[in-house]
Amino acid sequence: MPESVSNITAQMPRAKLAGLLLFFLGPAVAIYTLFSIYPLVATMALSTYTSDPSGARSFVGLANFKTLLGDALWSKPFWNALGNNLIFFAVHMCVQNPVGIALAGLLSLPGLRLRGFYRTVMFLPTMLSVVIVGFSWNLILSPLWGVAAGALKAVGLGSLFAPWLGLESSALVTLSLISVWQFVGIPMMLIYAALLNIPDELIDAARVDGLGQFRIFFHIKLPLVLPTISLVSVLTFVANFNAFDLIYSVKGALAGPNFATDILGTFFYRTFFGNQLQLGNPTMGSAVATVMFFIILLGLCLYLFFVQRRIRRYAF
Amino acid sequence: MTTEQRARSLGVHVVLIAYSLLAVGPILLVVMNSFKMRNAIFGSPLAPPDAATFSLIGYEKVFRSSHILTYYSNSLIVTLVSMALVLLFGAMAAWALTEYRFRGSTALALFLSIGIMVPIRLGSVAILNMMRSAGLNDTLTALILVYVAQGLPMSIFILSEFIQQIPKDLRDAARCDGVPETRIFFEVVAPLLRPAIATVAVFTIVPIWNDLWFPLILTSSDSTHTVTLGVQQFLGQYITDWNSVLAALSMAILPVVIIYVILSRQLIAGLTSGAVK
Amino acid sequence: MANLRIEHLHKRYGATAVLNDVNLKIEDGEFVVLVGPSGCGKSTLLRMIAGLDGASGGDIHIADKLVNTLAPADRGIAMVFQSYALYPHMNVRKNMTFGLKFTGVPPAERERRVTEAARMLRLDELLGRYPRDLSGGQRQRVAIGRAIVREPAVFLFDEPLSNLDAALRVSTRVEIANLHRMLKSTIVYVTHDQVEAMTLADRIVVMNKGCIEQVGRPLDLYYAPANLFVAGFIGSPAMNFFEAKVAGVEGACARVDGPGFRSFDLPATSLKMGDTLTVGVRPEHLARREDGSFTVEGVVELVERLGESSFAYVRRADDRLFVAEVRGRQTPTPGERVALAAANRDVHVFDSSGLRVSSPTNT
Repeated sequence: MPESVSNITAQMPRAKLAGLLLFFLGPAVAIYTLFSIYPLVATMALSTYTSDPSGARSFVGLANFKTLLGDALWSKPFWNALGNNLIFFAVHMCVQNPVGIALAGLLSLPGLRLRGFYRTVMFLPTMLSVVIVGFSWNLILSPLWGVAAGALKAVGLGSLFAPWLGLESSALVTLSLISVWQFVGIPMMLIYAALLNIPDELIDAARVDGLGQFRIFFHIKLPLVLPTISLVSVLTFVANFNAFDLIYSVKGALAGPNFATDILGTFFYRTFFGNQLQLGNPTMGSAVATVMFFIILLGLCLYLFFVQRRIRRYAF
Repeated sequence: MTTEQRARSLGVHVVLIAYSLLAVGPILLVVMNSFKMRNAIFGSPLAPPDAATFSLIGYEKVFRSSHILTYYSNSLIVTLVSMALVLLFGAMAAWALTEYRFRGSTALALFLSIGIMVPIRLGSVAILNMMRSAGLNDTLTALILVYVAQGLPMSIFILSEFIQQIPKDLRDAARCDGVPETRIFFEVVAPLLRPAIATVAVFTIVPIWNDLWFPLILTSSDSTHTVTLGVQQFLGQYITDWNSVLAALSMAILPVVIIYVILSRQLIAGLTSGAVK
Repeated sequence: MANLRIEHLHKRYGATAVLNDVNLKIEDGEFVVLVGPSGCGKSTLLRMIAGLDGASGGDIHIADKLVNTLAPADRGIAMVFQSYALYPHMNVRKNMTFGLKFTGVPPAERERRVTEAARMLRLDELLGRYPRDLSGGQRQRVAIGRAIVREPAVFLFDEPLSNLDAALRVSTRVEIANLHRMLKSTIVYVTHDQVEAMTLADRIVVMNKGCIEQVGRPLDLYYAPANLFVAGFIGSPAMNFFEAKVAGVEGACARVDGPGFRSFDLPATSLKMGDTLTVGVRPEHLARREDGSFTVEGVVELVERLGESSFAYVRRADDRLFVAEVRGRQTPTPGERVALAAANRDVHVFDSSGLRVSSPTNT
């Protein structure tokens, strides 16, 4: 049987094909290469240089990485940021995905009324800017305004309230939860779409077999949307290790209190641009970006080798 | 319906309504209080504005002390131009990659997909250097170029899925009809990609509108700030002026919410179309 | 109008050969149907004639012109696709004229051709409609109309009726036959449906596994299949096959014998004692009669009644089943023992390589 790719190119003169490819692919490849791939490579190259106060650059090999990982002045904040980033990611995995799955499961229940309304409303926060979301929550959780405190008091839990965003012990988790609140729409929608793709007949067959809604969900639907869940996890991982906007807009570049909310994105920004405490350092910034690149690459490889391979996709 | 089914359905709705409140509550709260006087904001934060508490003072201050309209027009220009280019160049590249067989097409597709997983932000240092040396620093053009580069890989991926769903016979019929290849793309394929716009928008356009990082790095003057950056800086400056802060937040929120509500059907259809697997 | 010549055509996808040394000559104005099971290469052959798939070797001539390297649009062909392939965002008129714009047909001429084709296909009322507002049959006619306005030398049809329901399929079939009568154009038509092939074709090309098994007029294929494949493929229900052996050779006659039927003589010179043969008889040629040279016995196991006739599934002594079509009201009953015979000319004998030997003579 004919393949999915057109075989029209077989009869085409070479020059004509080359012209077509240049016309169709040229703009995209040029812009992408120039403004995405080249900067990535150039940044990595820059990470092997250092610059003196006059601005002259000299090659130093891997010295920047040695400094970053070996010099306590650099390595302490780096490991702190990496650790915080892992916590940030863990909160997303443990809260965002289960909540997203649960909401998707409820939304896809047969015969649910107001489905469209719920979908629209629940996805709304995802559409907003992280900056706006962060700042709004900042106000809501502020003891000055007292909305959160008042809400807790109303349900008799007033004593639980604390200025979570301001405390070193809770600021990071609180920020993670704000991020979860905003982005839960993505796993919800993708998993919801996957659930809709499961043929009705399969669910009907399970019902005829005597399974209830809960069992149908856990034994039939969930295994079938596992590939989507793993995809969502990868997207979450990349987004989390690239996060910056939320922390920056709520806590500023210094990611306070006392760097308790510092993650790799803010650390990179401080290193690159500088702040009240230090001068900006593009070459060290490049080194941080390069390390972040390898962390993301490592995560993707772990996913490809250990998760992707074990996941079975079923055709309907 | 049996009593048990009724109870279960009620339970489902209770959960969904509770979560819906959690999702829109904070947004409503901010928007609502932005229309109130300062003492009403603190006195009864949960009450909607009424005749006695209604006030636009926050909005007046935002208009007076920031270039919010410039920010809007900047965001609009950057987002619309980026969107047009991401869609056009993305669709053209997706077409060539799915339709023509040529040496190195798989390698090229892989090369283009790097950008889906590796954030372009990591190249910021070099991007800033490039823009400086090209004299594009602090221009909207710099933002547009970066956003197009950022959006292309995902849009190529999504649009390829859509193009593959267009029946092959259609392109073959056009070829038998004597339609030139470029016309096949622009007059037969492209019009059929309209449903894909919503999906591309969710995954590439919305992040452009909302981005803080690149405006922060690439723009330095008020005349090139986008809404997200402008409001962020305004908030930092007027942090103690609650009226202004709430008004600024609302002004960033409301246009997005209005457009979202108008287009939500298409956006969600695009999201759930199964094109992203 | 043009003839079509295909010489030594090969097509490979990687290691798999899809077409293997295909040779075919189609005369000007001829209606040729390519038929065969799915995967036999008939659609690939059609797409290669159209220029949509490239050849791995061999030549295609249209109107005595070598077209191997020509783009589809320059070959003087028009194609009607199984899915109709109507442009969903253009109305019927635009669908029909879209291609003409690019081939230098002036607007007035385009208009004339569309009007003409619309009249011929009864599409006048539908010219402003979009494909989504048309029924399956109407879409089919638009697809044919789009082909007609190109005024091609050769029409190519790729299973054009398979998306229509049974009733519409019959009426459209008649329309296509009429169209061919009016246009007198060369048509190459691909189908897997042998009824379409038999009813429409001037000549049928039976294909299997990338090779042409037989080319011939419909009734020739039916009454004198060249080999086992064609014998089994043409006719419904399929021809019954019986294993047999040459039990003896006397002069120019070979005696054919096998389990479950009476032995008979075959005028065959090349057969040798002990050769394995296959005897084929169509179900509609088996009847309760005495004059046949081929008689087979068994017990009726199941009867399918169709009204005008019935299919009897009969089990032979060696436990094999065969089918007989019984006409008239006197249907056999299950459990009944029957002896069924076929006339000499309706008995087909194939040798061990599957090629037709001959039909038997009277004993």
